[in-house]
Amino acid sequence: MTAGSFLLLIGGGIVTGTVGAMLGLGGGVFLTPFLVLVFHLPMHQAIATSILAVIATSSAGAAMNVERQIVNLRLGMTLEVATVVGAIFGGLTANVLSGEVLSRIFSFLLLCVSFMMIWRTRHSRGISTPMGAGVFPASFNDEATGEVVSYSVVRVPWVMGVSLIAGNISGLLGVGGGIFKVPAMNMISGIPLKAATATSNFMIGVTAAASAFIYFAHGHLNPLVASPAALGVLMGSFVGVRINRRIKGTSLTWIFAVVLCLISLKMFWR
Amino acid sequence: MESTASHHIVERWIGWTLRLGVWASAALMVLGLALAWFSTSTIHLPSENPRPTVVLHSLFSGSLDPVMVMFAGLLLLMLTPFLRVLTAAAGFAAERDRTFVVVALVVFAMLLAELVFSLQ
Repeated sequence: MTAGSFLLLIGGGIVTGTVGAMLGLGGGVFLTPFLVLVFHLPMHQAIATSILAVIATSSAGAAMNVERQIVNLRLGMTLEVATVVGAIFGGLTANVLSGEVLSRIFSFLLLCVSFMMIWRTRHSRGISTPMGAGVFPASFNDEATGEVVSYSVVRVPWVMGVSLIAGNISGLLGVGGGIFKVPAMNMISGIPLKAATATSNFMIGVTAAASAFIYFAHGHLNPLVASPAALGVLMGSFVGVRINRRIKGTSLTWIFAVVLCLISLKMFWR
Repeated sequence: MESTASHHIVERWIGWTLRLGVWASAALMVLGLALAWFSTSTIHLPSENPRPTVVLHSLFSGSLDPVMVMFAGLLLLMLTPFLRVLTAAAGFAAERDRTFVVVALVVFAMLLAELVFSLQ
């Protein structure tokens, strides 16, 4: 491993972490294609690396959000029962499938993520389920408006179902799965977007850890790749969150949705 | 009336665990990378992933092999969510929320089963 390789990995991690955090996607969606297409890493190693990066960013972000009480802790832990099951199955499946098959599934995932990115700019639920109407009541201080937002949660089984699938995808492909969970929590259960995002990010660390050891056991975790990449993504996510606060607008979302479609094609035809 | 502080024990403990886990593992990874960067000999990847006990043994023997230090960082990172779930169980117990002590322990049990099964 040359010095140039290390720098490429750290740099790639920083870029993918920044972009991921800006778009609310987490590092996995961009990091895995980077590792496969630019760094020419085998798919399983790329996924294992992504999983580590995802644990890092999720844990770092969750530390802050949990203490600010934006995370609905009890909902998150309940849903984790589902995501962990899903992730374990995903991890076991991934280690039976070939790298090519995983690449193809991944490219399909990127198309779905691209679609979801556009869909969620037009569909979000502004009015949340009131307290008393559902379970897991919670409230948090919305820093942007200065108001205290109170809500509760309905249709938990539906969200558990989505969490199971999201966990499966996470274990299979090394992504966080938040792009599916957040809209589900917001639209189906009436959870305010900020709380849904924070809760989803909180859960992702455990979801990723659930399959991490499976990849480790199969020898796919290369520390010389995973360490610089994870550190880079961690640094990038700090930067990306700061940029996110300043940039608004859907044009960025469209640009990256198109970029993801192009990456998807590349991953399919590699 | 209970003080609000007692309601947020879980949140504080989880926050601490996560922060500690991320920064400690990052520090180990940085240390490993620095050792690799300044190493005069070529870095060898072991042919198989070393078991966690091997990694710990290597660390505490003071040999400071860059790859082992990096593995230690990565293992700690992978274990951070495990610790977080355990901390949540403890925090819920401190808040006398028995239901969620059980939920947290169920999640932890599944994670632990997967860990043990994988490492065999």
